[in-house]
Amino acid sequence: MRRLTLFPIYVALVFFAVLTLLPFVWMLTSSLKNQNDFFTSFFLPRGDGLLGIAWDRLTLANFRRLFIEQPIARAMLNSFFLASVTSSLATLTSAMGGYALAKYSFRSRAAVTWLVVTALIIPASLLIAPSYRILWQLGLLNSYAGLILPALAPAFGVFLFRQTMLNTVPTELLESARIDGAGEFRIFFTIVIPLVRPMIGAFLMITFLASWNNFIGPQIVLQEPEIFPLSVTINNLRGVYATDYGLIMSGTLLSIAPVMCLFLLLQKEFISGLTSGAVKG
Amino acid sequence: MPRPRFKRPFELLSPGAWTIVTLALVSSAIYAAWPVPERPGRDFWMFSPPNVQHYRAVLDAWNAQHPDNRVNLIQIHYQALERRLLAAFTSDAPVADLVETESRTMARAFAGPLEAIGFVDLTERLHREGLFEAINPPSFSTWTTRGRTFALPHDVHPCLLGYRADLVEAAGIDVAQIETWEDFRRLLGPLIRDHDGDGRPDRYLLNFWDTNFDLLTVLLWQAGGDLFDAQERAAFATELNARTIAELAGWVAGPRRFCVDARDFTAGGDQMRLEGTVVAAILPDWLAAVWRSNIPGLAGKVKLMRLPAWERGGRRTSVWGGTALGITKSAPDFEKSWAVAKHLYLSPQVAESLFRTTYIISPVKAHWQLPFYHEPDPFFSGQKVGAMYLAEAPHVPPRIASPYMTLAMERMMAVLVSLKAHAIARNTYDAEALLPEARRLLADAQRDLSARMGRNVLYRSAQ
Amino acid sequence: MKSAPPHPRWAPWAFLTPFLALFVIFTLWPLAQSLVLAFQQTFGPKSTAYIGTKNFTFLFEDPLFWQAVRNTAVYTFGAVFIQLPVALGLALLLNRPGLRGRAIFRLIFFAPSLVGLVFVGVMFAQLFQKRTGLINAGLHALFPAWDPEFAWLDNQVMPSLLLASVWLYAGFNMIYFLAALQNVNRELIEAASIDGAGPWHRFRHIVVPEIRPVATFVVLLSVIGSFQLFELPWVLLDNTAGPDNRGLTVVMYLYQTGFLVGDLGYASAIGWVLGLLLAGAAAVQMRATRLEGNQ
Repeated sequence: MRRLTLFPIYVALVFFAVLTLLPFVWMLTSSLKNQNDFFTSFFLPRGDGLLGIAWDRLTLANFRRLFIEQPIARAMLNSFFLASVTSSLATLTSAMGGYALAKYSFRSRAAVTWLVVTALIIPASLLIAPSYRILWQLGLLNSYAGLILPALAPAFGVFLFRQTMLNTVPTELLESARIDGAGEFRIFFTIVIPLVRPMIGAFLMITFLASWNNFIGPQIVLQEPEIFPLSVTINNLRGVYATDYGLIMSGTLLSIAPVMCLFLLLQKEFISGLTSGAVKG
Repeated sequence: MPRPRFKRPFELLSPGAWTIVTLALVSSAIYAAWPVPERPGRDFWMFSPPNVQHYRAVLDAWNAQHPDNRVNLIQIHYQALERRLLAAFTSDAPVADLVETESRTMARAFAGPLEAIGFVDLTERLHREGLFEAINPPSFSTWTTRGRTFALPHDVHPCLLGYRADLVEAAGIDVAQIETWEDFRRLLGPLIRDHDGDGRPDRYLLNFWDTNFDLLTVLLWQAGGDLFDAQERAAFATELNARTIAELAGWVAGPRRFCVDARDFTAGGDQMRLEGTVVAAILPDWLAAVWRSNIPGLAGKVKLMRLPAWERGGRRTSVWGGTALGITKSAPDFEKSWAVAKHLYLSPQVAESLFRTTYIISPVKAHWQLPFYHEPDPFFSGQKVGAMYLAEAPHVPPRIASPYMTLAMERMMAVLVSLKAHAIARNTYDAEALLPEARRLLADAQRDLSARMGRNVLYRSAQ
Repeated sequence: MKSAPPHPRWAPWAFLTPFLALFVIFTLWPLAQSLVLAFQQTFGPKSTAYIGTKNFTFLFEDPLFWQAVRNTAVYTFGAVFIQLPVALGLALLLNRPGLRGRAIFRLIFFAPSLVGLVFVGVMFAQLFQKRTGLINAGLHALFPAWDPEFAWLDNQVMPSLLLASVWLYAGFNMIYFLAALQNVNRELIEAASIDGAGPWHRFRHIVVPEIRPVATFVVLLSVIGSFQLFELPWVLLDNTAGPDNRGLTVVMYLYQTGFLVGDLGYASAIGWVLGLLLAGAAAVQMRATRLEGNQ
């Protein structure tokens, strides 16, 4: 009975799943084709092999070229560094800021909270030109610091953590810890952080992804190819005069794999964490 | 009151979160241990991927011979280059010593007063070294504003017509009889065919569409029109441009349509070229190399011919794109940068390497006799590709540079898009009948652009 | 029982300082500079002219700006009324009790969030191609009357954008709804269905009230995100605003003005007007949902 009622649901889910996956199939097959086959066939090249497909023309050459012609290993390391450091530190500053706004009462609290909420609506493009000047004046151009430091003050993160702390951290718990003589930082790191573990996981994931895929910021701030992250290296393959599709597709495939693994690792917290910033307890 | 429980370190975060934190620590340690080495020498920013291989070889040799004047080749996406240049110029921050840019990018650096332009004014230098005489004159026009030239031109970029010789010859058509676009439409007309019987043609004659503003301006320039006047004011609402636009509306819609949207640099467009959905395309030298590398299946099937003219005796070529090398004011040693620039752009060895990798012909007239330009080319069915492009080089139309070039091109496109809609709504595709509407649309567009340009007090006062 | 000692006065500031210091340097200071810029015509610090409110007066009569506002509003409307319902629908499907393979489906639907926009641009440009694109080729094969030259990215820019945004973002928003749905009391639903309540009735009266806080939060994020839409249409339309500016959004106009025309003053004015418009919209919504309330 139950199986019967579930049947249309499976049909719908599989239908949407196929639609969602089509682009990925396209990416995978494109990464295995040469430039000529890329233009003449949508998925797999036609030929006289099994099922009318030219299996013998599929090639790993794009991946080989990616490693030989492009500084891809270096770019990958750069990306790992940028994304992991940015997300870890941004999560820390956001959690601290959110905690202060949610769990301490002090005079300027309303003003700071208002500032954080207002900052959510600032369009990033508005700040590109003035920020560039500041980065240069501070000597941060062409350095990772110039990319990481501005990313460590995400108003969105502070806002999310504030909401989460309001919802999930009982004030009495903090008070009883103070009675036990615990210091403020000890309380934060050993009581508060574990309570908001899901939000930590979710925000790490969000900031890691954003940093991993960001190609506009690094292109402006970083100026030398040795320190370009993967996203920039891949975007550089897309030119005005020519685009190497096979390389882009294999590069994209390589760049998805690590974040896919991270998502699998973090998905439980990610799902519950995302909403902990939304619901008011 | 609940009793607090102080967690041990490994309990603080989940395994996934610990993974990221560990990654951060490990990668930071790696960077602390192996910092990125400083590279001496001058930085050279460029954007064109096909030019990378060519320059890498040239500069490796240069660096070996000139250890005191080393050059670091840095390829960046053209948009990033644009952003960086403008961000740096407008905040007085340093940029690379040498910058190779596309014409519209460099023109954006012209939006302020002359003395605030971030590139070194090369006018005197070009005169003194006789380069204005040595280089094909139209090549300078896009790098010149208010009478001053800010870059050394890299190319000429004349246009020919690339066409599917196999299809045309199988139909027994003699392209030598084509002199004008009207001849082209008439003689090749029989090739427009509906193969699958669905009532829609599956083959068209020319790659062009009302939304393709690059090709639109290429055709306007060929007809003798321009977007700006000699004072660099918006000046595209001319009778000539109105006639061209009115004619073009009938190319992309109506019963005499012969164009199809087979956009360059797209996989779909290339597939249409390969499958013969489109017979011919306007083909500057650099695009010929894109065909060769992206659509190897066309080898031996395509040929080049001069562009059909707008009228008998009219211009048989046009111009598309343009690249040049500028030396920035923040470059510490102008003479050393200038030496690199001259090597890259003026030496015959580099010209040969450039032509062999990209079909791009040198603007240096003395090189035009070099043998490599006059070899038959297998991709274009044994034609002498270099010689054919060189023959058109002196006839390339000059263009007025403007920081508002992109804006003007977009306005022109909007005019053609609207005119096509107007034509379809009235079911009139006759150029004469469309002319009044074309004039009106052009006048409106020019008024809008002039208002925008007029706002820029810095650019205006410098004129 | 002892009463809890108050926290030291420095404590909130110790926690806020890292964020606040960086926020002041990298957000507030540039923001202040952009406000100054909005009253200037500038081409670098050495050539700058104060032009009073001319940027703003031009802006209010600038048809392009208002076209950008209209396009942005249409997209925002579509994001809230098309993309979010799709996300909710997927979440409802996945939330069915007894469903197998939930984790796999969840991963599949979320996967688009993992790829960068470079790929999205290249791929959708391919899908929307006139003759050769999968969408037109597929529809033409299924329905021969379908015009294979149907110009998605020329004439139907907004629908194309919305299609792409559904693929790209619905999976992410689905996660929000999924988490919210897990809080819905199953027994209540069972009881209601025994009482003969239809699926719509159950959804309306049991599910909706439970997911309302998350839903309003997601709507708020979608509105803010949609107002700032720029990169998706920019890569999709091959770094242009599309024919006749059909894909021009406000932030894209800001970007074009600042970086393609080099008019940073006017760009800043656009940014500030957008910020004010958005602040108005957000204030209305937050007032409506009282998300602001402290404790």
